[in-house]
Amino acid sequence: MKLITCIVRPDKLDPVADALDKQHIVGMTVTDVRGFGRQKGQVEHYRGGEYTIRFISKVKIDLVVQDSDVEAVLVTISKVARTGNIGDGKVFVLNVENALRIRTGEKGTSAL
Amino acid sequence: MMDVLLEEPFETIPSGDATNREGGGGMMLIASIIRPECLDAVKDALSQLHVVGGMTITDVRGFGRQKGHVEHYRGEPYVIRLLPKLKVEVAVRAEDVEPVMAAISQAARTGQVGDGKAFVHTVHEVMRIRTGERGPSVL
Repeated sequence: MKLITCIVRPDKLDPVADALDKQHIVGMTVTDVRGFGRQKGQVEHYRGGEYTIRFISKVKIDLVVQDSDVEAVLVTISKVARTGNIGDGKVFVLNVENALRIRTGEKGTSAL
Repeated sequence: MMDVLLEEPFETIPSGDATNREGGGGMMLIASIIRPECLDAVKDALSQLHVVGGMTITDVRGFGRQKGHVEHYRGEPYVIRLLPKLKVEVAVRAEDVEPVMAAISQAARTGQVGDGKAFVHTVHEVMRIRTGERGPSVL
C-alpha cells in the first residue's frame, strides 16, 4: 500500500477529486496548507514597492491506494492538476506499513 | 522578511538511519483520521498507555467509500463531499504500534460509516529541535 501526498493549487481540488472518482479511487483526506517551492513564493507590487509573498495557499490531498494503482493515480493527477505555470505543486509517494478500518477493525489492504 | 544568516556552521549529531540504531527498535508514525467528536476519547486512551509522548492534531476534510453524505434542501438531495475529520499523528517505537492501534480502534469507533482509518509509516529519523537529540529517546 502506498500513501500518495499531493500538493496542488486550491482550484484543482474538485477536478482532481472528479478524475479520481472516475478511476474508482475512493477516499481522500484534504488539508489546507501553505508553502513554496524553488521559486520561493511570488513577488507582488504595492504602491510601487516590491514585496514577496513567501507562503502561498495550497491544498494537500492524501490518498492511500494499492501498489498496483499508484502509476494510474500519478498520471491522472499529473494531467488534471497541471497548468504549466510555476506553482503547480508536487506529489510524493510514501510506503504504508499497515492500515486499519476503525469501524470494523479490518487491517491491511481490506482496510482501503 | 529578514533572512537569518548563520555565522557558524550548524552542529549536527551524526546518527545514520534510525532503523539500524543499536539498542533501539525502529520507529513508526501512526496517522489516524477520526471523527472530531472522538478526539477526547482517543487522547485519554493514548495517555493511559504511557508509550505516547505527544501527538499532533490537524483539521482535515475527507471522505471514504461512502463519498460523503446526502443532505436534502427544499426537497432536492445534494451531496456533501468533504466531511470534517481530525488527523491524529503519533510517533512511537515499533513494538508499541499494536497496542496503540488497538487503543485508537476502540476509542474512535462508533460502528457507523465514517469512523475513519489509521495508517502506519516507518520513520527513518527523528530529532528534538530544542536539543538536536536524535533517535528513539526523542519519542
